[in-house]
Amino acid sequence: MISTSVRIAASPEVVFPYFTDPLLMVTWIGDRVDLDARPGGKFALDFSGVAARGSYETVEPPHRVVFTWGIPEDDLMPPGSSTVEVELVADGADTIVNLTHRDLPPEREPSHLEGWQGCLGVLATDVHL
Amino acid sequence: MTPGTDETAAPVGPDAVLRALADPHRRRILRLVQSTELPAGQIAAHFDLTQQAVSQHLAVLKRAGILAERREGTRRLYSLRSESLLPLRALLDEFWPDALARLKQSVEQAHPRTEEPRTEERGPT
Repeated sequence: MISTSVRIAASPEVVFPYFTDPLLMVTWIGDRVDLDARPGGKFALDFSGVAARGSYETVEPPHRVVFTWGIPEDDLMPPGSSTVEVELVADGADTIVNLTHRDLPPEREPSHLEGWQGCLGVLATDVHL
Repeated sequence: MTPGTDETAAPVGPDAVLRALADPHRRRILRLVQSTELPAGQIAAHFDLTQQAVSQHLAVLKRAGILAERREGTRRLYSLRSESLLPLRALLDEFWPDALARLKQSVEQAHPRTEEPRTEERGPT
């Protein structure tokens, strides 16, 4: 699981569409973005020659957006194999963005789970930072 | 060309490591040797693959610098070079922080805080 946060000098209402509007998302992640920000809607972005694919699971403006994330034809992290959860918390006039990228929940397809967790398992066990 | 021990693996980037890890058999091999050194035969015994197929997987992992090979008599022993996974760990760790830093920059440039100066210049009197 990867968690990271950033403080942005703008309100959640301003920040939220950067996770749902392709024209805004492309300004910070991806070279090409194709989004349909509704539960079940398409999440697709290409960055540095890598294609990330998934679908939106939760879209609750302006505080929460969840989408799945994966890379086609990569058994390490196939589409739908991991989930990115974004939380926007107002702090005064600023927004704290909390992002968590976690594995697929266990009820999903086990072979997908094996792929990503297998790799991370090796990393987690053996890399001591 | 001298076959045999090759303990000085060239430094490799995250791409080669990722490609080598993008196979469930190879990841299983790494889990087998992550805390112990094993000969090829014992590794192969865990798989429904030919010895040759296992050897090929070992070769890919070796080339990517993830697997260390040591000769002991006629046996070749394999173990994980955990330091080879550091670049990948760094890549994963840095991806989202880098992206959010760009998000911050993008939002704040598009929506600059207009801080009203307290004393407005009214021009010369």
